[in-house]
Amino acid sequence: MLTLDGVQVSFGGVSALKGVSMTVAAGETVGLVGPNGAGKTTLFNVISGIVRPTAGNITFRGQSVLKAPEWKRARMGIGRSFQIARPLHHCTVRENLIVAQRFGAGRIDHQRIDEILDLLKLGHKADRDAVSELALTEHKALEVGKALATDPHLLLLDEVLAGLETNGKRAFMEQLALVRDRFNLAMVVIEHDIPTISALCPRVVVLNFGEIIAEGPPAAVFRNPEVVRSYTGEAAA
Amino acid sequence: MKRFLVPAALAAAYVAVPLAFGGNPYVMGLIVAALTIGGIAVAWALLGNLGGMVSFGHAAFFGVGSYTSAVLSMKLGVPPLAGLLLGGLGAAVASIATMPALRLKGPYFALAILAYAHIFQILATEMTGVTGGAGGLLSIPRFPTLLGVDLGSKTGGYIIILTIVVLSAAAYAAIRRSAWGLALKAMHDTEIATRVIGVPSTHLKAAMLALSAFITGVVGAFNAHFINFLEPDYAFSGTWTVLPIAAAIFGGYRTVWGPVIGALTIYLLDQLVFKELMPHGHQFVLGMLLVGMILFSPGGLAPILGRRLEGRVRHAHA
Repeated sequence: MLTLDGVQVSFGGVSALKGVSMTVAAGETVGLVGPNGAGKTTLFNVISGIVRPTAGNITFRGQSVLKAPEWKRARMGIGRSFQIARPLHHCTVRENLIVAQRFGAGRIDHQRIDEILDLLKLGHKADRDAVSELALTEHKALEVGKALATDPHLLLLDEVLAGLETNGKRAFMEQLALVRDRFNLAMVVIEHDIPTISALCPRVVVLNFGEIIAEGPPAAVFRNPEVVRSYTGEAAA
Repeated sequence: MKRFLVPAALAAAYVAVPLAFGGNPYVMGLIVAALTIGGIAVAWALLGNLGGMVSFGHAAFFGVGSYTSAVLSMKLGVPPLAGLLLGGLGAAVASIATMPALRLKGPYFALAILAYAHIFQILATEMTGVTGGAGGLLSIPRFPTLLGVDLGSKTGGYIIILTIVVLSAAAYAAIRRSAWGLALKAMHDTEIATRVIGVPSTHLKAAMLALSAFITGVVGAFNAHFINFLEPDYAFSGTWTVLPIAAAIFGGYRTVWGPVIGALTIYLLDQLVFKELMPHGHQFVLGMLLVGMILFSPGGLAPILGRRLEGRVRHAHA
């Protein structure tokens, strides 16, 4: 479904991504991990169109998306959340989803919006102001909800569990699994919490200094000495 | 009670005002001028509230609309009522020239639009063969008589400009309520968050600029056929920018009807009261009034009136 081929990104003289190649299959859930500054969010920004790569190619459902702006990629089926929630200002929770659905999916289907609100446990806050009247978990859920309302095929979730306590994390993870199965989504999830990512993602990709250093099943990847070194900061042998 | 407010206000505007002031061309002329400013003020507020852009150059669209309709009716015999729409279209097309400025933010956009207004004024002055140059255009065709109503009279002009303002405000209100309106308002604070859910933010801003220019152009075209005379210094005068901004701020630029209420209030107060009391320098009082409004009620007059009305509704239901 998604193929990245030798994607490079440079900011001035700094290489944020150095020839990243990876694929995500339809319906697959992939964990994207790595220490701070590894290039995880930059990779999401490149896939969603916020940042243009300096080299490489990105294809989504068989089409190159390199020239498509972020709003076109959303309409093609690439949905994303931000690490720091960005609810639409001057809008209620429901209106956030209406805008996302109207522009991302090209229609307004109130039944579907109600279903998303219920799945994400936001139904009781549907008519509340999205900026000032939501708790942290609800802001995170709204981030996912906005992306879902665009009818995505692929969901990019940037540290959507960060800041939640253990029980909140577990509950939210269960919601994400439900959402994934209900809408038959592929997901790429950035997350630092290893037990969480291991439970949610059958495959994990590890980025360090803009390069993929390991990928595979979580149990094997997190035992990989290079991955351990990247987290502990020890120099490679 | 609120349900009947709009129909009652419209009935008063279309029936009571002509009945009360139809015999007084001076007052009717002032009301038409106030609504002309009100129409531009609605267009300016639409661009500010929905497009997130502050314009110091709406005189450009007013002038282009005026000249488009005047020239088409004088040279090609286009009926003035059709000229209204074509004037609006002319201004909307002119706004395309200003669209590179959409990449600019805040005061830079405002100043760029101001520069465009000067460019259009120079073009109108220099294109003598089409616009009559600095000498302007005289005897621009007046509005016809329709269904027994002389639309070229002060009362006829009032009906036309009132209809333009009502339709413009209704379109503005409809957009505000729609998903477009929600996306536009959200874009001001979180543009990237709207773009990743499929909102083509630059296209939406361009559409609001074109719509704002269209409304202003229609108002400009109306004015050309109402006063039957145009010259570049008048059609592109900064007055067509400054007064609508003052009206929108005084009336409440965050509301749909605030700019119209503001235009009627400040222009009629100025012309009928302050000018009588202070024939020289009466604008000073107007300026003080505007400063007072900004200091004591930054939201403008419309929210104050709205709160009073709600209070009365609650009182009536108690």
